[in-house]
Amino acid sequence: MYQASNISFRVRDKIILRDINLSIEPGAFTAIVGPNGAGKSTLLKVMAHEHTEYHGDVTINGKAARNYSPKELAWVRAVLPQTTTVQFTFTVEQIVMLGRHGHKATQKENAAILDEVMSLTGIDHFRERNYLTLSGGEKQRVQLARVLAQVWEETVYPRYILLDEPTSSLDIAQQQLIFSLAKQVCERNIGVMAIIHDLNQAVQFADHLYFLRGGKIVASGEAQQVFTKSNIEETFCCRVNVYHDPCNNCPYIIPERTMQQPLSISSKR
Amino acid sequence: MNLALSIREYRTAIILTALGIGLVIAILLSLTIGAVSVPIADVAIIILQKAGLFQNIAVDSMHEVVLSTIRIPRIVMTILIGAALGVSGASLQGLFRNPLVEPSLIGVSGGSAAAVVIMIVFGGFVIQADGWMYTILLPVLAFAGGITATFTVLRLSNQTGRTNIAVLVLTGVAINALAGAIIGLAIFYADENQLRTFTFWTLGDLGGATWDKLMIASPLLILSSAGLIFFSPTLNALALGEAEAYHVGVDVEYTKRVVIFLSALAVGVSVSLSGMIGFIGLIVPHVIRVSFYADNRLVLPGSVIGGALLLVLSDIVARTVVSPSELPIGVVTALIGAPFFIGLLMNAKRKNEL
Repeated sequence: MYQASNISFRVRDKIILRDINLSIEPGAFTAIVGPNGAGKSTLLKVMAHEHTEYHGDVTINGKAARNYSPKELAWVRAVLPQTTTVQFTFTVEQIVMLGRHGHKATQKENAAILDEVMSLTGIDHFRERNYLTLSGGEKQRVQLARVLAQVWEETVYPRYILLDEPTSSLDIAQQQLIFSLAKQVCERNIGVMAIIHDLNQAVQFADHLYFLRGGKIVASGEAQQVFTKSNIEETFCCRVNVYHDPCNNCPYIIPERTMQQPLSISSKR
Repeated sequence: MNLALSIREYRTAIILTALGIGLVIAILLSLTIGAVSVPIADVAIIILQKAGLFQNIAVDSMHEVVLSTIRIPRIVMTILIGAALGVSGASLQGLFRNPLVEPSLIGVSGGSAAAVVIMIVFGGFVIQADGWMYTILLPVLAFAGGITATFTVLRLSNQTGRTNIAVLVLTGVAINALAGAIIGLAIFYADENQLRTFTFWTLGDLGGATWDKLMIASPLLILSSAGLIFFSPTLNALALGEAEAYHVGVDVEYTKRVVIFLSALAVGVSVSLSGMIGFIGLIVPHVIRVSFYADNRLVLPGSVIGGALLLVLSDIVARTVVSPSELPIGVVTALIGAPFFIGLLMNAKRKNEL
């Protein structure tokens, strides 16, 4: 279990997160949705222990994140950012291999892991290519392969992957591919937490859903149960209608066309 | 086993070996050339005799003296300085994820040179020039000056715990200007004799090598260069970005501190021996990256050998073109380096590798 309890975070006197409680279960896909500026990325950075000046506790498998060394953290959690800029010319294979940086493994073990994650993400046929010459979708799949390589080994303890809007600049096929892969790896005793912009995608893939607004959790729970008109409207200040898609057996929303000012819901911050 | 595959597996070792062979050839060449030309066979025998072999073979005693008191210490110093400058440039570029960074940009060279010049001009009031204290104190001061300048630059470019690269580059420029002004001010108070050393400190000079100086400086240069090579895999992870490097298990702040400390040590000691030699730290890592690939496990050791190679070759040119006089080494490194570098850049631009 990856748990955030009573997390508050402020930059100078601006409160970014207040009293957040959140947990990621191994084997499950947890999604966080919310409008721009809700504090989603900050929350992910606190969870990843990249921001350390927070109040409250982040515990990973029962041990406080503060008590992990950077290397030990790398053994239990990996992070996929929105975009990664690489300054120098590395090959695809070298980038994926960086996911193994903190591990003590033989070259042979690493090579085996590399082969598995690269074929899973469908990048093994261009492993020798220069990373800088890839398309956006290919780059993100390479980064996903790197993240998977980091937590791929089966261990006695569960591992976690944190995804920060990993598909924000990809086409829908690539978006579906990235989330399907993330969902698929949950089976390996891996817990996934993803920040997702597209609400329909969030409810399609997530087991648990958190609605974040103004640094606070507005609603949370089993994805299909909390995916309601009122929760979405309160979080996003936008009128929506919720329908049911019989093909995926999953709810979906269509925002209402409106000519008026955005719905204002008590802007208490 | 597939030949192409095994070449790929060992390519780093192959490239480094080839560079090493090039360096050995350049060293032998450099030892034969000079005011007195020593045949290559004599060079080889004298070196082997130093290692305790072939004691019964007689060689020209003048050749022996020229080599063991002048050329060998000079070449040892040239190799160590070239290597130190190359590897610190490569490490700092990797650390700051910026191909424009070189030791002088973060103030190391300027700070070292300023400290040394102050010592030379005003130090005479405190301790005797040419005494043993002087020999020890100069590298120490050069290091102190270098690291003070670097940490000032780092401190100023620190933004909520992270290094802001744009601010870093700009403060580096400012600190360098300040160091230049301090050198200029010191020169103003310098006497005739000290003035002559001005070119030495700003353009570099490898002529001052003695075994005494090397005894103190070489352990520092070897340890700092070797220490930097140790960070190659970590610098690879840093190529993803600081946050991403932290995610894969790198202690980023520790890495920054140690890499900067070791670079400042390497460059500071180099400056105390030979003055400021520009360009090596900037171009050698680029040449390795553009000619081969950017994996720091190649680029760092490659810059050690490549830096030494470039400096040995430049030194041959500096000693021969205006013989019996000598060109400042910094002039030659730039003269050889710049056109070669531009050629490589154009080539890389065509192939879209930058």
